[in-house]
Amino acid sequence: MSGADFKVVLLGSEDVGKTSLMKRYIQDKFQCRPHQNTIGAAFASKTVSTRGRQFVLGIWDTAGSERYYAMSQLYYRDAKAAIVCFDLTERVTFDRAKQWITELRNHEENCKIYLCGTKKDVVDDGIKASAVAHERVLQYSKGIGAVYMETSSKTGLNVAELFQLIADDCVLPSSNERNESIKLHSSKKSSSCCLAS
Amino acid sequence: MDEVLDEVVPTEDLKKYEKVYHEQLSSGKITQKAQFEYAWCLVRSKYSGDIRKGLILLEELFHTDKEESKRDYLYYLAIGNARIKEYNKALQYVRGFLQIEPGNHQVHDLEVIIKRRMDKEGLVGVAITGGIVLGIAGIAGLAFALAKK
Repeated sequence: MSGADFKVVLLGSEDVGKTSLMKRYIQDKFQCRPHQNTIGAAFASKTVSTRGRQFVLGIWDTAGSERYYAMSQLYYRDAKAAIVCFDLTERVTFDRAKQWITELRNHEENCKIYLCGTKKDVVDDGIKASAVAHERVLQYSKGIGAVYMETSSKTGLNVAELFQLIADDCVLPSSNERNESIKLHSSKKSSSCCLAS
Repeated sequence: MDEVLDEVVPTEDLKKYEKVYHEQLSSGKITQKAQFEYAWCLVRSKYSGDIRKGLILLEELFHTDKEESKRDYLYYLAIGNARIKEYNKALQYVRGFLQIEPGNHQVHDLEVIIKRRMDKEGLVGVAITGGIVLGIAGIAGLAFALAKK
């Protein structure tokens, strides 16, 4: 992949907010409507600093619609990290996320997985209740050794933190150093990020 | 951003979808799914012959498949044409798409990439409205289908 040091792929059901997550991170913008289904996969990149060095994250934002299901395999291939998204208020999208993770585990064992519960603002504002118990998601992510974060692309909650964590994890070569990064991260201000590794 | 035009389909994937398509072809019943997946690989090939073949399959799908799928075909028709440096044709598809979905970021980005390449390669875009490419009726039908969504 030209220009990017790390490939990150966004996976998950239709309308969970993968494009919004990327847009919030890349442009620091949020647009709720009109919703436009991503065609195939979109790409964006951003320079991140970690441990005093600069790296370019190349992000593939895949289409969530079922017609692109087989094709998204081509986008997670050789990815350093996958952000598997689900809508906190839609149970079925969590089940779909679990399927993505199983598939990733089978095909790309070196790809780090970040489970991402989106639309936290909808839950926080009481518009809709959370469809999956927080503890249950945590337990699941612990079981698979994945990081779990809850984000809101609307407010920006945990979005930059998530990508920064990915950059930190991708650059760190040894597990000792990785633990160190996790400690540093979890001491950050009021983020509702949960780590399991 | 240019990755959407530069990514190349791995040969084994192209072969995999080619096989499915040809099996269906010989059985006499080609599904739109198989045709699209094969075309999607072809337009991302490094060989212009493959890309041209993919464009033919996409045009056929555009004219035969249901309305809500047409935006996907328009997008890859633009991608394929841009990859074989048929920039004016690619821009026609882009403009056709934007007539129906004016705020689409993915397609706006693609337009920027194509125009940048034309500038770099010393080509001047010719303004032709998207309606000409696929026929006004096709575009109107698509607009209707998208409005219903």
